[in-house]
Amino acid sequence: MSSHRTARVARVLSGALRLWGVPAAVERDPDQVDGLVLRTPSGGSLQVAAREPHGWLLRRDGRVLGSHAGLPGLLRTLRDEL
Amino acid sequence: MSALPVSVITGFLGSGKTTLLSRLLRDPAFARTAVIVNEFGEVGLDHLLLEAGSEEIVLLEGGCLCCQARGDLVRTAGELLARRSRGEADFERIVVETTGLADPAPILQALMRDRELAGELRLESVIATVDCTAGDATLDAHPESVKQAALADRLVLTKADLADPGALAERLRRLNPSAPQLVAQHGEIDANLLFGFSVHEHRDLPLHAQHFHSITETQTFCLRRSRPLHAVTLALFLQVLAEHCGARLLRLKGLVDVVESPGRPAVIHGVQHVFHPPAFLDAWPDDDRGTRMVVISQGLERAWMEDLLEALEDEVKVCSIS
Repeated sequence: MSSHRTARVARVLSGALRLWGVPAAVERDPDQVDGLVLRTPSGGSLQVAAREPHGWLLRRDGRVLGSHAGLPGLLRTLRDEL
Repeated sequence: MSALPVSVITGFLGSGKTTLLSRLLRDPAFARTAVIVNEFGEVGLDHLLLEAGSEEIVLLEGGCLCCQARGDLVRTAGELLARRSRGEADFERIVVETTGLADPAPILQALMRDRELAGELRLESVIATVDCTAGDATLDAHPESVKQAALADRLVLTKADLADPGALAERLRRLNPSAPQLVAQHGEIDANLLFGFSVHEHRDLPLHAQHFHSITETQTFCLRRSRPLHAVTLALFLQVLAEHCGARLLRLKGLVDVVESPGRPAVIHGVQHVFHPPAFLDAWPDDDRGTRMVVISQGLERAWMEDLLEALEDEVKVCSIS
């Protein structure tokens, strides 16, 4: 996935967090190409990684919380987990 | 049988809804109209004030449609349709007059959400009356009135014979730039300007100043896109909005250029988390062939919606390639 697409997905997730009133930050994951990390003020984090050939994996501390073909499913699980 | 048009007339207390409706019903071209009047209070009077050109005027008492009496509205509309299908009533349009304190969004939802009604009725227009003498103060003091004006397809400035609508008109233009404004003097207005159009018709919005704020945080903006969208993208976009935006999305309406339907745009229409299934026009209604979606919201970010739409389209393209 191109970097501008990753940046766009990061903006979508950031906007969703604002919409839900969740004070978390979205950052690029330094350990994962095309990956993102959501960090909460309490120190918790969720990792979002691109799944091949398409889709998303959501992890917390290495444990897979969800595998999604697209953003709608990822957003749903994220909201539940946050 | 094609779906029957239903229009909602809303507006704050004393803004001239009943006067407007009364004048409209005198117009012979408008006579075949069933009217559902909702009054808040123990004794309803408005239905008596309507000088009936219509024989079908139903009073809904016992609460406001937007909170307590939504079920009554659905039931009453269903009964009217049943009487019509049995040949006991002859009308070609339904008009719902809300109470002055009503939030129109739940009323639109009730009409759109009911499975049986949704197939038989189509929302034609939301008309909001705003009083030129007291409208400014009402908008300052009553958030309900802001929402009524923000959700309207047509704004009727009433009592213009008593006060100049200038500043109020400008304020309303900032609040709801997509709604044409009509001026009524002594309640007189051409019914053809209020009815007989579809919710997707809206005045074009300026390209660079599409984001307006009012003191109550109601915003209107227009999402535009020059390239067609895949139908799946549109469905996913509406799904995400319905799931995550909820009450913040006061209204969304628009025309969408769909890849799988060249030359036949999809009409979309939603209120909060309820969306009509997209309908397809036979042709574009004007020279503009681009996607345009008017969003009336409280706190939704235009940039976020644009990013979401593009991100979903990216995903759909990747899926169709892989």
